[in-house]
Amino acid sequence: MTTGTQNSGTSLVSVENLSVDFHMENQKVQAVRGVSFELIRGEILGVVGESGSGKSVMCRSILGLLPGTASASGKVLYEGRDLSNLSDDEWRTIRGKQASMIFQNPSSHLDPLMTAGTHVAEPLRYHEGASASDARTTAIDLLHTVGIADPEHRVDAFPHELSGGMKQRVMIASAIACKPKFLIADEPTTALDVTVQARILALLKDLNQQQNLTIIFVSHDLGVISEICDRVLVMKDGKVVEQGTTQDIIFHPKDPYTQLLINSQPSIRARLRQQSLGEIEPVQTITAKPVMGIKNLAVEFPGKNAALFGLLGGISAPPVKALGNISMDIYKGEVIGIVGESGSGKSTLARVITRLQNPTAGSVTYEGQNIADFSGSDLINYHREVQMAFQNPFESLNPRFTIRQTIAEPLIVHNLIPRDQVETRTSELMKLVEIPEKLSSRRPRQLSGGQCQRVGIARALAMEPKVLIADEITSALDVTIQAQILDLLEHIREKENLTIIYISHDLAVVRMICSRVAVFRDGHLIEIGDVGDVLNNPKEEYTRTLIASAPRFSTEQAF
Amino acid sequence: MNPNEDIESERIETTEQRSIIFRLPVSMICGGIIVLVWLIGAIAAPLISDYDPIAIDFLKILQPPSSSNLFGTDDLGRDMFTRVLYAARIDIWMGVAGVFAPMIIGIFFGLVAGYMGGIIDKILMRLVDITLAFPFFVLVLVIVAMLGPGLVNFIIALAFVAWVPYARLIRADVQIIKKSEYIQAAQTLGFSPVYIMLRHVLPNALSPIIVYAVTDAVLVILLGASLGFLGLGVQPPTPEWGVMIANGQSYISTAWWISFFPGVATVSMGLGLALIGNGLSSLRLGSD
Repeated sequence: MTTGTQNSGTSLVSVENLSVDFHMENQKVQAVRGVSFELIRGEILGVVGESGSGKSVMCRSILGLLPGTASASGKVLYEGRDLSNLSDDEWRTIRGKQASMIFQNPSSHLDPLMTAGTHVAEPLRYHEGASASDARTTAIDLLHTVGIADPEHRVDAFPHELSGGMKQRVMIASAIACKPKFLIADEPTTALDVTVQARILALLKDLNQQQNLTIIFVSHDLGVISEICDRVLVMKDGKVVEQGTTQDIIFHPKDPYTQLLINSQPSIRARLRQQSLGEIEPVQTITAKPVMGIKNLAVEFPGKNAALFGLLGGISAPPVKALGNISMDIYKGEVIGIVGESGSGKSTLARVITRLQNPTAGSVTYEGQNIADFSGSDLINYHREVQMAFQNPFESLNPRFTIRQTIAEPLIVHNLIPRDQVETRTSELMKLVEIPEKLSSRRPRQLSGGQCQRVGIARALAMEPKVLIADEITSALDVTIQAQILDLLEHIREKENLTIIYISHDLAVVRMICSRVAVFRDGHLIEIGDVGDVLNNPKEEYTRTLIASAPRFSTEQAF
Repeated sequence: MNPNEDIESERIETTEQRSIIFRLPVSMICGGIIVLVWLIGAIAAPLISDYDPIAIDFLKILQPPSSSNLFGTDDLGRDMFTRVLYAARIDIWMGVAGVFAPMIIGIFFGLVAGYMGGIIDKILMRLVDITLAFPFFVLVLVIVAMLGPGLVNFIIALAFVAWVPYARLIRADVQIIKKSEYIQAAQTLGFSPVYIMLRHVLPNALSPIIVYAVTDAVLVILLGASLGFLGLGVQPPTPEWGVMIANGQSYISTAWWISFFPGVATVSMGLGLALIGNGLSSLRLGSD
């Protein structure tokens, strides 16, 4: 674990009693409250915390990158030099040269009009006055260092021509161009697929060991932190609640919050559950009747240029295959997980099942009937029985509706129950998803992500569905909230005897709640079977890669 | 329920909450006061002034402003102050109707085109292109000339021509909103397209329209006044600011007050509405 500490012991940055306040129109928010820590030369320091814990703000304040509405107090010493009162000119000698930063979303932090090479060469030209041709050669070297294949050609590529992982590599190359002593990485892999994430983590580890780059690695994901960090700071509500070596934090957490964070990790929960209950019992697929049958399903989208060229006379780009020839059955009462990376077609499948998207070929049958044949009252009935919960908790609720209106709406529109019972039924549903009654007149903006997600589930349950499709419902949530939502889902499934189709990119979550799992890649069904079989003995190479890439939360020894 | 979700309050100190009135932009409050003054003046015109706006009095022709006739009198001896107040009734009504008629048509077409898409969208948008191909003022003039002068015909002409920007504005918003998850959620809940359009899409697409409508009212009032000036709008003896300005044209060197006061009225009304529109749009941007 503790590697890359060649000249360990000496502190590179020391932060003393740092506080940051934000002054809003009529309120003051304390984002960081009295944080002190040392960054030791050559280490990777992990900063973990949930959204709003102040971890990003703290990192930005180290480099003096706070917005104008913020005021900081306390001391940041870099190699003994106080950074709190630097002028802009002095900052410029530090940022980029001594320290630099990479961000979560590489797409929005790269200039769309600048090539990869220009991004990497820019700091060299600016800080070191390198000539254009020298900078370009160095840029190609750097792109090679960060693992971009064929850097001689990619150096001229624009951001939109690069994948998310490659963009993040370009950002890293640009950040390390002037050989800074330390790098702040703010959630650098959160927007990336697991397989890409694994490669970026390996790259950062390499840079740490080979170039002795000190890194502050910020993440909400303890799994990722435990993979690469030597020491960890745990932040909550702007304070550091615990700090220590990764080993200590993970195996002997002292603070109750750290313990909660660790126990909320899906992989830990899955294992605990397995120990107490045994493997989740698969529904007897031989005797059970499939509630839903998917046969040779294919979905194609017209090629990008089709709309433009279609008008001019029919020349169009080849269609994009979102789903190709999928066949699978879904059995009554089971929780089936659908896993895959972005673009694997798993959400398209959900859209076809809910009839938001028409298939190009093949069929979906529900209780023996082709869903494409439903119309009128049959269709309304189908929508009642097959419901969906969405990924983005804020986006999936009408911003103008109160919580009560949102949940009551399907009851009223479809006349599911007499008008005078709507009020009581809504309250019942709110109770079922554990939303306190006092929130009922709030609007989505006044709620937290977890609360919004509960409302979305309650709205789906108002229809008394038999099948619930959950499309990445926890991926936008913090890990402790995710654990609560998953518990809720489990509870509802037992109570309402639901069949759940759980779509996720997170294998640990799938292992925790699903009995069967289907692995998707590039629109194809790669592997399907009982969770234990597929995840413990994957037959396909891709499934193995997927499992290997998932950040391993290494507490095996602890249990 | 969950300790983590409520904890925020501890770190947030709220200083005194100011009421909504104090958070409005100053310019918007000024605009509101100007428009409010005109509204009160229009409604309470008979209470404010004892004169009859159309009664002719040849003994008092072309009197300059004085204590008995604040804004003077016109060439037929009518009290200008009274006429300006009564004219506000016509002009405000013109502004409201002249905005609402095209707005409703535009919202309908824009909503349907944006939500339905496909061939319906293509047809409606070509209709927009055709309307836009003609110069706005010329088209309004032609229609009014064909239907005959008058306030109602002016509103009809506007309804034919001025719906285009509303339709375009709302279509653009609807296209974004219809892709959002809450619309998809409504679709999976089995709601009908008409219900979704009216209950979920329209309310969320309305705020830019309202901002535009207020600024559009300025243009409508000015356009109505210009048509009145050309003799194609409201017909005499009904008091209307544009007609009154036109009427004073021949006395401009001897009796400046006949054109001046209705002119000031038109400008102040336009300014008031423009200030409100400005304030609304900055509020909208601020709240996002």
